[in-house]
Amino acid sequence: MANNAIPRDFLKNVLQNGMGRYVCQLQRITFRFCKSHPGSRHMRDFVENHLLDFTQKNPGVVVYLQPRRHRPPSIVAEFLNGRRETMEMIDKEPGEICKWAEHMRGRSGVQIVNMIRNNHTETPSTQGIWHPFMFRDTETAVTKFPDSRYSTLKHTGKTATDYVLEEIKK
Amino acid sequence: MRYLKEMYQKRLDVGPEKPRHRSEWTNWNYDAEIYAFGQRLGEEFDESTLRQAFINRSYVEGERKKRADLGIDTDAVPLQLEDNSELAEEGFALMSSYLKVYLRNIYPYMFEEGISAVHNYLTTDEMLAHIAKHIGCEDLILSEEFPVLASTLSTVFKAVVGALFNDKGQEQAERFVRDFVIPQLIEKDINELWHITNPMGLLKAVLALSGKEEPEPRLLWKSGANTIMSLYWVGIYSDREFIAKSPGETVSIAEEMAAREALKKIMKTEDNRAPLVLGSAAENLVLDYNRVNISAKDIIQKYYDNKSPQTGSSAF
Repeated sequence: MANNAIPRDFLKNVLQNGMGRYVCQLQRITFRFCKSHPGSRHMRDFVENHLLDFTQKNPGVVVYLQPRRHRPPSIVAEFLNGRRETMEMIDKEPGEICKWAEHMRGRSGVQIVNMIRNNHTETPSTQGIWHPFMFRDTETAVTKFPDSRYSTLKHTGKTATDYVLEEIKK
Repeated sequence: MRYLKEMYQKRLDVGPEKPRHRSEWTNWNYDAEIYAFGQRLGEEFDESTLRQAFINRSYVEGERKKRADLGIDTDAVPLQLEDNSELAEEGFALMSSYLKVYLRNIYPYMFEEGISAVHNYLTTDEMLAHIAKHIGCEDLILSEEFPVLASTLSTVFKAVVGALFNDKGQEQAERFVRDFVIPQLIEKDINELWHITNPMGLLKAVLALSGKEEPEPRLLWKSGANTIMSLYWVGIYSDREFIAKSPGETVSIAEEMAAREALKKIMKTEDNRAPLVLGSAAENLVLDYNRVNISAKDIIQKYYDNKSPQTGSSAF
């Protein structure tokens, strides 16, 4: 897919999660498979051997099993922000299914997008951003221009020209 | 191709799918959902109280009506359903008082009106509905209306707090409020939540009562006068000491904004204030529950009393 077709967004945190306490954003997950078709055999293996580990580790996620006759296996994840994601599990071995279930558990539920930047804040500067008046003398507000004081050249010290001239004089 | 076109047209004719409650699908188990709700939040609710917290009044009335329509005698078979209004009341009372206590202790110099404004912002129906939705209340609510209204969601959130208060006590319920409601202030400018109508008047009163001279606005810098890009910086001084400065399109706007900036400094709610105490850092937070901040109204009242002392009080 062309890069500009993928949505771009800043990093987002749903409901300031983790500032108070962390809440797993995966609300419920449905494993869909066929009870007899060989296409679903890895999913059936996963349900028999690995699913209980997943449920015991994540009591806050509701797990559903949905047998569908002669349909390819898939997982459906529903997140707290209301989004629902489906992922085909065709030809995926039990280990891989475990990993995808873990992937869904760790997600915030926000659509995966290209990050504009890796960090984002609503308050870019707490000490105030720079502005042209920041280090300027307040007297300029009441001065009538042109003013000789502000028109003279500022001497900040010995310049390279001064140095060379001095060298020649020696 | 023709068939697909036909189907496409049919879809357009029928219109979008109507929103349906999650429970209409086959993969739905209310018991499991209720259990997971408590586990997700890391709270041990009593199941019956939690169930009650999700029952809206309209649902109870609807059930009663259904039974009456079916001709079931409600005296013989009483409807054992209680709605969440009582829990919500308890929860809201606790939430409201805790929010104020927390804010007063975190912002001890902020005026009482400001504290109330922040409190009101946090307890609006929209805000509580937003939180309730994002902890997974929406699908669990038993209510007649669908989609669920913001007011119903907010009542349910209050009831969940009330349920926690009933089951686990005040401390746990307060922790819940601190973890879910107060973080909504992050990235929000709390000074904008309280609109001060006359900032210069309030500043005058505050300075006078703290024994300082009247605030003196001075023009610091200006640029682009008489253009649409005009800019004025006004600083506020008292006793020849600088308090605050702010920019504005006109001198009067800049002056008002500078007065607001000065009040921000007095309330110690500037942009560089310390972050909110949340999460594990808030576990050992000692809050003074009896604390009441100074009210801006009182200050102005006192200022005017001092300015024109009444004959009765001076005689006394």
